[in-house]
Amino acid sequence: MRILHVGTDSFGGYGGIALYNRELIAALASHPSVEEVVVVPRIIVDALEPLPEKVTFVTGAARGMLAYLNALRTAKGRFDLVVCAHVNLLPIVRLITKHPLLMLYGIEAWKPLRDPLSNRLLRDVRGIVSISDITRERFSGWSHYNGPSIILPNSIRAEWYGLRPKNLGLIKRYGLEGKRVLMTLGRVVAAERYKGFDEVLDILPELDDDISYVIAGGGNDVPRLKSKAARLGVSDRVVFTGIFAEAEKADLYNLTDVYVMPSRGEGFGFVFLEALACGAPVIASCLDGGREAVRHGQLGQLVDPTSPAEIRVAILDALAAAGERRIPEGLDFFSYANFERRTHAIIDALGANG
Amino acid sequence: MCGIAVLFSYGSSAPAAGAGEIEAITERMRPRGPDAGGTWISSDQRVALGARRLAIIDLTDEGTQPMTDVEGELRIVFNGEIYNYRELRARLERLGARFHSTTDTEVLLQLYRHDGAAMVELLRGMFAFAIWDPRTRRMFVARDPYGIKPLYIADDGQTFRAASTVKALLAGGHIGRGLDPAGLAGFWLMGSVPEPHTIFQSIRAVEAGTSFFVGEQGTHDARRYYSIAAALKRGAEDVAAARLVQPHVLLRELVTDSLRHHLVSDVPVGAFLSSGIDSTALVAMAADAMGQPPRTVTLRFDEFRNSNSDESPLAGRFARELGSDHVTRLVTRDEFEADLPGLFDAMDQPTIDGTNTWFVSKAAAERRLKVAISGLGGDELFGSYPSFRDLPRIVRASRLPFATAALSRLARNPKAGAVARYGSTWAGAYLLKRGLFLPDDLPSLMGAEAAREGLERLAVIEHIGHTIEPDPGTSFGRVAALEASLYMRNQLLRDTDWASMAHSLEVRTPLVDATLLRQIAPLLMVEKQRCKHHFAESPRNPLPAWLSKRKKTGFGVPLIEWMQLKPDGTSTRMRSWARIVMEQWR
Repeated sequence: MRILHVGTDSFGGYGGIALYNRELIAALASHPSVEEVVVVPRIIVDALEPLPEKVTFVTGAARGMLAYLNALRTAKGRFDLVVCAHVNLLPIVRLITKHPLLMLYGIEAWKPLRDPLSNRLLRDVRGIVSISDITRERFSGWSHYNGPSIILPNSIRAEWYGLRPKNLGLIKRYGLEGKRVLMTLGRVVAAERYKGFDEVLDILPELDDDISYVIAGGGNDVPRLKSKAARLGVSDRVVFTGIFAEAEKADLYNLTDVYVMPSRGEGFGFVFLEALACGAPVIASCLDGGREAVRHGQLGQLVDPTSPAEIRVAILDALAAAGERRIPEGLDFFSYANFERRTHAIIDALGANG
Repeated sequence: MCGIAVLFSYGSSAPAAGAGEIEAITERMRPRGPDAGGTWISSDQRVALGARRLAIIDLTDEGTQPMTDVEGELRIVFNGEIYNYRELRARLERLGARFHSTTDTEVLLQLYRHDGAAMVELLRGMFAFAIWDPRTRRMFVARDPYGIKPLYIADDGQTFRAASTVKALLAGGHIGRGLDPAGLAGFWLMGSVPEPHTIFQSIRAVEAGTSFFVGEQGTHDARRYYSIAAALKRGAEDVAAARLVQPHVLLRELVTDSLRHHLVSDVPVGAFLSSGIDSTALVAMAADAMGQPPRTVTLRFDEFRNSNSDESPLAGRFARELGSDHVTRLVTRDEFEADLPGLFDAMDQPTIDGTNTWFVSKAAAERRLKVAISGLGGDELFGSYPSFRDLPRIVRASRLPFATAALSRLARNPKAGAVARYGSTWAGAYLLKRGLFLPDDLPSLMGAEAAREGLERLAVIEHIGHTIEPDPGTSFGRVAALEASLYMRNQLLRDTDWASMAHSLEVRTPLVDATLLRQIAPLLMVEKQRCKHHFAESPRNPLPAWLSKRKKTGFGVPLIEWMQLKPDGTSTRMRSWARIVMEQWR
């Protein structure tokens, strides 16, 4: 079997979708019946990670739109399966096949697409692979798609994270000596106010003074949140890290006493898996994909992000229960081995269905 | 669902809390809880609790009230349902709490032990309860955010009394029966008595969304822990959250979640069905959630035959297509006349409504249902009342220099003359729109002196105005807060309580849910009245056009024909009915 992966970014990419695609491509390629996975990326922003065996990465496709289209034209007709790794790419993928396997992640699939052509092309896809049930439900709610669909949640390589001693340099840099630390990690941009930063800030004045809140990430919404923290009288208890080095991420999670993200727009919430892999107790939202990342309460607490009381109580409960840090056994559900097994099952099912 | 009673002789010169009084109060509420009853009196005879039980969750004797916790300290009487009790119990067990039953009642005890008064903010449900804490010698009293479950209190400065109904409190024999001019004025103005007033001077309603302690120094000030206006205001500030998801999909998620919580029961749950969008969409979504449709009940009246008011043909067709076990119940004038004494006896306070719920509850009880879901609250949530259109117009027009002339078109309406006087504020416009009578009419109805005193103490414009503080920020939000905090709370919900409980039926209202309102408020602020259309699209199989496009009708009964009501001068017919109702309290 030969597979063509048409995506925005993967190897050499940045962020959650790129990471997911890298894992997906590796899992596709490791299936015994797969001879080759050809990957056509739209964007490369960083040095390429090592490519898995059987993967051909068309680096040149990322040089521009013409190069991208040319790479796809060249690929036409040579593949048993075409993976459309972003719903916005459906019209381009249509140049190659009418029946791709479509990947869905989050809010990009929660409302009708801007392009009417894409909305029509959805009817013909070979199947849907969604990162979460909520994304699948929200997608089928407007698209009325009722063809084959399957859930393929993120995987976590727990060995890349793990329990570590608190990084004293970071504690000093952020003034967290003697503090209990809440953290939310993500892009701090106006377009993504659904992350839940505001909801945590709102209850911070009600929590003990030794509790600090670390907003890990940068973006154009930082000034507004700083003003809000000042207005609430908690400026000295809120830390804005700005954009941080990827190498510091696990240390940041290891500084955290409670990872809390009462969000409303997460397709899944990979950050919960990262926090859990660092032994941090997590608080997720019951109104978005976060509930699936914590397995509906098995791996962490669920709160209604519209309820300040629930968020406050969940934080206090988590802090009160804080003891020895541990990585929950149930996190194994999201191991790469399980991700690979689920991916192979998709390939097998597609093979069986022609 | 139950009827509860409390006596707390907190004053040093208060007589002991008597067994006779608590039993008399409790017994008056027998129809509210036919399955069991009980009382408890503290060893020092300063506290007495009583309850009648309609067993719905944990049908064993372990659910009997008054209930104590496993520690044998705290005691509770509780009326209502806590829909998230399983989640709360799981949390409490993680924190080390122990339980002797599987009831939601016991969860309240442990939640109080762990979270104190802040517990009320964690509850999803309809409730009124009192917890006696002997450690602090204080009684903790709370009522749900919307005011679905009633609770009335009387405090003479020595003894605190509480019960689920006004008439039960009176049955104890220690409370004066003098009518309250403020409550009377409220009834004539609004068609129901606005809380915290009641029709009796010595009894007050615990306000919705409040809690308070009663200690040995008496009743402490109530703390308001929930405000509909505040929830709507927050929604207006958070509209980005509503734009992430298609409206009908978001409604499906959130209403289904509310429904799933409202379907928690150890007995079968049925549904009231009309031909309106709220009840049909709710029944369709309940069928989606349960895997099969609930049993349904619709009323039919010969007086409405072949008119748009007859809901039975379309409701029957919908039920057939959905495959529900459906009954259309005919109600005749003869039955109404036979039931009228019982209806007035059950009517806890004067109201111009409730007859419809009386009969549909009776029909549900005949089907051996103990629980029924209702679409009540949909009009307030989705803005389907004419007031959502008319109030902004009245306020806008009244603020124009030529307002009076422009509004002279309303001259045939008995309220037309008052438009210029009241119409320029939201509260005044609401009084004009919803009012049964206007303040100037009251002297002729209740006497000049009583009217003066009643109006002064009621301060009706300020009273109405308080319900839109904080300002929800939009016309839609203001009308939604007004309707939910006044008409729905004081009339629809209260009438639903007495009229259903008279038939030992618990009515659940998935669209009247503080959690749902919080979650849905941003969408309401964006979509406004379009939400009704989205709601019709929300079931997995959207409502058919013959239902969703149908012109809205009210859930009415042919009172005019049955009572041969006639307009009284320029008065509406409901004014005539109000006079008949008020006769029962003279």
